[in-house]
Amino acid sequence: MSAGVVDLTLWQLALALLLVAAVAIVSIRQVLGLERDLLLGSIRTIVQLYGVGLILAAVFAAARWYWVVLILVVMTGVATHAAVSRLPKPIPGAYRIAAVSLFVSTGVTLAYVIGVVVQVGPWYEPQYIIPIAGMILGSSMTSAALAGDRLQGELRVRAAEVETRLALGFSGREAVQPLVRSALRAAMIPVVNGMMTVGLVQLPGMMTGQILAGSSPLLAIRYQIVVVFMQAAATALASLFFVRLIAGRYLTPAHQLRRYLL
Amino acid sequence: MSDPIFEIEHLSLAYPGRRGPPMAPILKDVSFTVERGGALTLVGPSGSGKSSLLRCLNRLEEPTAGTVRFEGRDIQALDPRRLRRGAALVMQTPVVFEGTVRDNLRIRPADVDGDLSEARLGQALADVGLEGELLDRDAATLSGGEKQRVTIARALLGDPRALLLDEPTSALDPPNAALVVETVSRLRETRGLSIVAVTHQPELVRRLGGMLLYLVKGEMQAYERVGDLDVRLQAFLAGERAAGVADAS
Repeated sequence: MSAGVVDLTLWQLALALLLVAAVAIVSIRQVLGLERDLLLGSIRTIVQLYGVGLILAAVFAAARWYWVVLILVVMTGVATHAAVSRLPKPIPGAYRIAAVSLFVSTGVTLAYVIGVVVQVGPWYEPQYIIPIAGMILGSSMTSAALAGDRLQGELRVRAAEVETRLALGFSGREAVQPLVRSALRAAMIPVVNGMMTVGLVQLPGMMTGQILAGSSPLLAIRYQIVVVFMQAAATALASLFFVRLIAGRYLTPAHQLRRYLL
Repeated sequence: MSDPIFEIEHLSLAYPGRRGPPMAPILKDVSFTVERGGALTLVGPSGSGKSSLLRCLNRLEEPTAGTVRFEGRDIQALDPRRLRRGAALVMQTPVVFEGTVRDNLRIRPADVDGDLSEARLGQALADVGLEGELLDRDAATLSGGEKQRVTIARALLGDPRALLLDEPTSALDPPNAALVVETVSRLRETRGLSIVAVTHQPELVRRLGGMLLYLVKGEMQAYERVGDLDVRLQAFLAGERAAGVADAS
């Protein structure tokens, strides 16, 4: 069924811009000083989304696997950079670690969703694989960043505890395990909590989009359920790999804590 | 007839910089020996590298040059986990883990076995001058002095041959400090434990006896028998005592 989507003309987009003008008025009246950022943000929203739209339109039209793979690689690269730049303290090898974690978590989850759950044919059908990969990467990136941030904080605060365990004869891995656990929990709790209220507080973006595009709500929620579960899996995998590998950077083969990295 | 437990030769330590060459050296060409059952105290102004030196002995720190031998073997050839069970480090700020005192005393790597019976735990507490009923206390509620002694008891339960103490009395008030000094010296006499201690406590230096190593800016300024310290070291210790009194008042 296709109820037909209302086309949005440029004039209508211009009308939407009035909403931002309202924000600007609030900012000026309340002396928030946000006008400049607001202007820049609005321009970036338009330029970035138009850019992505044009690229996607081209890739959708071409429907070649190598274009799809190229887009996925670029997306992973951007997500890697974002995850690393959110680490409070830079550490050597962080890029490689983030890239490996995001590649593995996204690759595994994506392959399962596309190949086993949704069974898209061909696998590189851009309409499916690109938005799904985007959602998986987004979750992976956020959770890896959250877990990394938490791990570094824990290491700084609990270095003496780690070294006490090392001094008692524990291996490096055993000595940081409680910190790894707490970082993993910090990364996963938002996702698990999100599962508790999904659909009750607000409709998830993807589902909203699908309904707007004319899908039946019953089909939209099925997709949304898949999305929630795949995001949970991606979160767990990405934060697990990221935190384990990051924790490893702080330890030497001789079971020492590299304090100078803290 | 000498039977050294630790032999340290030309040990140097510098912390690596984030990039490029190592940063300022922490220890420069330090050499000394600790006899089995003997004692060595490390003294010197703060920042002189005493704690770092101690941490080189159980390889929490990796020396940039020189060798450390434990019981005749280069520690590079030992599994660090075994080395650390043989040479137990007690840190300056005691770390107790979540749980009761019993949980804290029983903590050890999964692959290590040994007697952890109630009787032995009670004995370990008695050895450091604590009551057996403390076993059920939440470790977080202990006083600083009690925590410090629990960490010493925890170290002793691994049956180490050497005890490395990093300012074991610095966080304690004078009565508690005296108790720890008493405990440590008694352990050396009754168990034949070798002791290497960083300390600012003249009483601990005197009670332990053995050798004294005076470090300034990572360099050995003196290495002498505690019985016949020269005027300068006696003055330094007297100064430390005065500082200790000033701190306590």
